[in-house]
Amino acid sequence: MATAGRRRPFVPDLLAGGVFVLLGLAFAIGGARYDVGSALRMGPGYVPLLLGGILTVLGLVIIAQAFLGGDQPARELADQERAPVPWWRAALLVAGVLYFGATVRGMGLAPTLFVMTFLVALAGHRSGVVRALITAAGLTVLCLVVFVYLLQLRLPLFGTWLGR
Amino acid sequence: MDLSGLALGLETALQPGNILICLLGVTLGTLVGVLPGIGPTATVALLLPITFNFDPIASLIMLAGIYYGAQYGGSTTAILLNLPGESSAAVTALDGHQMALQGRAGPALATAALGSFFAGTVATVVLALFAPPLASAALKFGPAEYFALVVLGLIASIALASGSPIKAVAMIVLGLLLGTMGQDLNTGVPRFTFGIRELYNGLDFVSLAVGMFGLAEIIRNLERRQSASLVTKKVRGLWLTRKDARAITWPVLRGTTMGSLLGVLPGAGHVLAAFTSYSLEKRLSRTPERFGRGAIQGVAAPESANNAAAQTSFIPLLTLGLPAHPVMALLVGAFIIQGITPGPNVINDEPALFWGLIASMWVGNLLLVMLNLPLIGLWVRMLTVPYEVLFPAIIAFAAIGCYSLGLNAWDVFAIAASGVLGYALIRWGCEPAPLLLGFVLGPLLEENLRRAMIISRGDPTVFVTRPISATLLLLAVAALVVSALPAVRRKREVVFTEED
Amino acid sequence: METTSIHHDNRRVRPRRGACRRAVAGVAGLAALSLAACGGGSGGSADSDEAVDYPDQEITFVVPFSAGGPTDTVTRLIAEPMSKELGQQIVVQNVEGAGGTVAAGQVATAESDGYTVLIHHIGMSTAPALYPDLPYKPLEDFKPVGLITDVPMTIVARKDFEPETLEDLIAYVKENADSVTLANAGIGAASQLCGLLIEQAVGVDLTEVPYDGTGPALTDLVGGQVDFMCDQTTNTASQIQAEKIKGYAVTTPEPVEALPDLPTTAEAGLPDVEVGVWHGLYVPADTPDAVVEKLTEALAVALEDQNVIDKMADLGTAPVPPEDVTPEAHTSKLEEQIDLWTPIIEDAGVTGT
Repeated sequence: MATAGRRRPFVPDLLAGGVFVLLGLAFAIGGARYDVGSALRMGPGYVPLLLGGILTVLGLVIIAQAFLGGDQPARELADQERAPVPWWRAALLVAGVLYFGATVRGMGLAPTLFVMTFLVALAGHRSGVVRALITAAGLTVLCLVVFVYLLQLRLPLFGTWLGR
Repeated sequence: MDLSGLALGLETALQPGNILICLLGVTLGTLVGVLPGIGPTATVALLLPITFNFDPIASLIMLAGIYYGAQYGGSTTAILLNLPGESSAAVTALDGHQMALQGRAGPALATAALGSFFAGTVATVVLALFAPPLASAALKFGPAEYFALVVLGLIASIALASGSPIKAVAMIVLGLLLGTMGQDLNTGVPRFTFGIRELYNGLDFVSLAVGMFGLAEIIRNLERRQSASLVTKKVRGLWLTRKDARAITWPVLRGTTMGSLLGVLPGAGHVLAAFTSYSLEKRLSRTPERFGRGAIQGVAAPESANNAAAQTSFIPLLTLGLPAHPVMALLVGAFIIQGITPGPNVINDEPALFWGLIASMWVGNLLLVMLNLPLIGLWVRMLTVPYEVLFPAIIAFAAIGCYSLGLNAWDVFAIAASGVLGYALIRWGCEPAPLLLGFVLGPLLEENLRRAMIISRGDPTVFVTRPISATLLLLAVAALVVSALPAVRRKREVVFTEED
Repeated sequence: METTSIHHDNRRVRPRRGACRRAVAGVAGLAALSLAACGGGSGGSADSDEAVDYPDQEITFVVPFSAGGPTDTVTRLIAEPMSKELGQQIVVQNVEGAGGTVAAGQVATAESDGYTVLIHHIGMSTAPALYPDLPYKPLEDFKPVGLITDVPMTIVARKDFEPETLEDLIAYVKENADSVTLANAGIGAASQLCGLLIEQAVGVDLTEVPYDGTGPALTDLVGGQVDFMCDQTTNTASQIQAEKIKGYAVTTPEPVEALPDLPTTAEAGLPDVEVGVWHGLYVPADTPDAVVEKLTEALAVALEDQNVIDKMADLGTAPVPPEDVTPEAHTSKLEEQIDLWTPIIEDAGVTGT
């Protein structure tokens, strides 16, 4: 107990617990806005409200745990590999995926895929702009061959934004 | 029931033309199933039109082949790239991918192939001998029984996590909550859809899995400075060692039994089969801490269960004409296009088709083993592709795969969102597998709870007065007690990252 | 000219612009590229030249439900002969979601050149009542091409359910209104609509047990977990023939060939319960009439194809009579059905939003 008390709260547990509390509350509050009904005749809000409440409580327990020494395996894991978050690499990946979703319908598969794979490839450790461009070009061709030529998916290569 | 049926079936299935069709089906299924983000259901939907020009038996043999071929292919991707194409493969990914990272992709893939073949063979016999009684047993499962079964499954899934149990529970609950997104079945109210019509059907499992497993994993890999290729250790052999073979014998047997039985249940059967068999092995193991860190039993059990369930899930369709699984619903369409009315009479009206299909499943499993074992070397070599080429390829394939199935941009956005959430949660010591299972089982849990309450007119005792439901809930309580036992928890905390 | 009784404001959704703006906001670095693409987008609607050589490329049939379902099956049945007639490939694309309104919304704003065709069923007429925020107007954003088939429904019950005939059922349901369970395949499903009609006709309010699709609902009916339901012959015929469930009546004016023993609802005492899952083809509203005409002709030819007739018979249905394979007949069916279902759905308080 004494050692646990001296320790500073275990940050990953605080964060995980915090996210669970936030999401739990969001679902519970959102659920309460729908018709909750009763245990006998449950409305659409009943289960989300109930589960959201449970998640909130679990989140609070995890936060409490963080002050009492934290979750041991996670702590050891965290000590082993305390690598920094690869912020801009992750951002490139996410941007690439979002770009694909946003433009594939309008621009068509070919240009969207090229831009997306370029953005994503830029995130690699050993890839500069030129290498990323080469990777993107190669992958675009590969994907088009696999999905459009071999699998015959009905995805227009060029979309309506580019004219028919 | 009788062996003359099976003989007729073999006669049909072993016609050279049908063997060829079966080979074509399993090959196509494997190839498409191997693409990241495209699981068995999607593969069958994608390839369904190809079969419309064949004669009825050939077309069904091919479709069935595509289905279990895709299941094989899906396990391959789960093991190599940590990308499960459907819920049961998420369990395989847990230890399979760890094995791959440790240079043991070969044994992992061989285990999956051999385990599946064994399970497929047994399940074919089960199908031939016990289809009608199993089908009528499945009909005894009403909403109350399903609710109890799902509760049991969820409690068992706590064992999927190798870290903190309370975080695993929180992840399950979060998965259940994510599963409530979309239009409420009972009232039609769209929940948590933010006014976006494309979300009315809820989040797509594949998007969530690709994000939480695939994208999150890629971000984690990019944390490390050196990323020449995915595998961090030297590849150690492609084949099972004697020790491996001994280790997987019982898990395969138990997985096969579990899968054959649970596969019959509509809706949840094959998912529950895969992860309850995993949980069971972990409980029975003397080294449960190895699970999640590359335990070969953690590949053998769910893969056998999964494949056995894939076979026996044909039982309700073939004997009752009732589709138990989205793939079976697709097959109903195929039956109709072929001019066969699916229904309880198929077995009597079309014995050649019924038995031929069953026999062809065994043939197909044999072909799959012959096809997949030689491919292992090739797959393993794929892991040596430079990582900065491999991961953009994974993302591109996954994005196209997710998008092509519903032409829904939100399925793609969901990959990004779940990737970010998954990465954060993994960094904070929360493993994604329980969340995915909560997500898959959530709608079943809620629907059956509400349905049972409606049918019982609000009488909650229905869950304990019906014998099957009461038994399952009792088992659930027992499982909960076991996982709360301090002795078990202490064992969890012992961490071995290296095997001896 | 057909007139419509439904008024609406002129808010048409313009997804291209919206999606484009999102992209720009999301990926600032690619703004220039995307904007250039937006600027270069062709805004022109189809001109008359197009109709002359229509079709000169493959045509996409959008199915709002999953592959393998009854609507998908009907689509694939007619697509083959239509493709032969039009001399172009027809691609079937399944776009699921929100009771078929996602697919309809996409086709409503698709290029109106006749290369994107929607197939939809009775749900086209119930969507306005079920979804008050529907982003399209069935009567104004589409041109109906023609009706395809009207799949009959059957009223069925678990094998050991007490009533033996439809008359018995009516009496039984009235007496035991608070213990009888009526299954359906979910909000807006044909089985739910049919159930609502029955409740209205009998004058009872039953406990509805919704399922996620017909398969699970029928499974529980065969398993005896629920009492009765209403479903398409496609799903129920073989179960009735095998005596796994009990059939009371068919909901069409004519008896169904595959189920000769079942009376029609009119014969058996529920004349107000007349419902069929009718299917039709639609194109976006600005499609040139000449293009619609070609599609209608091809559809008419397809519906006379012997293979189509045979396969539909297996499904317990048949092509609509030739006089209904016209835009006019289709339009009036749609209007009539919207007028029929809107009050029923509103009275029942069912909503998809």
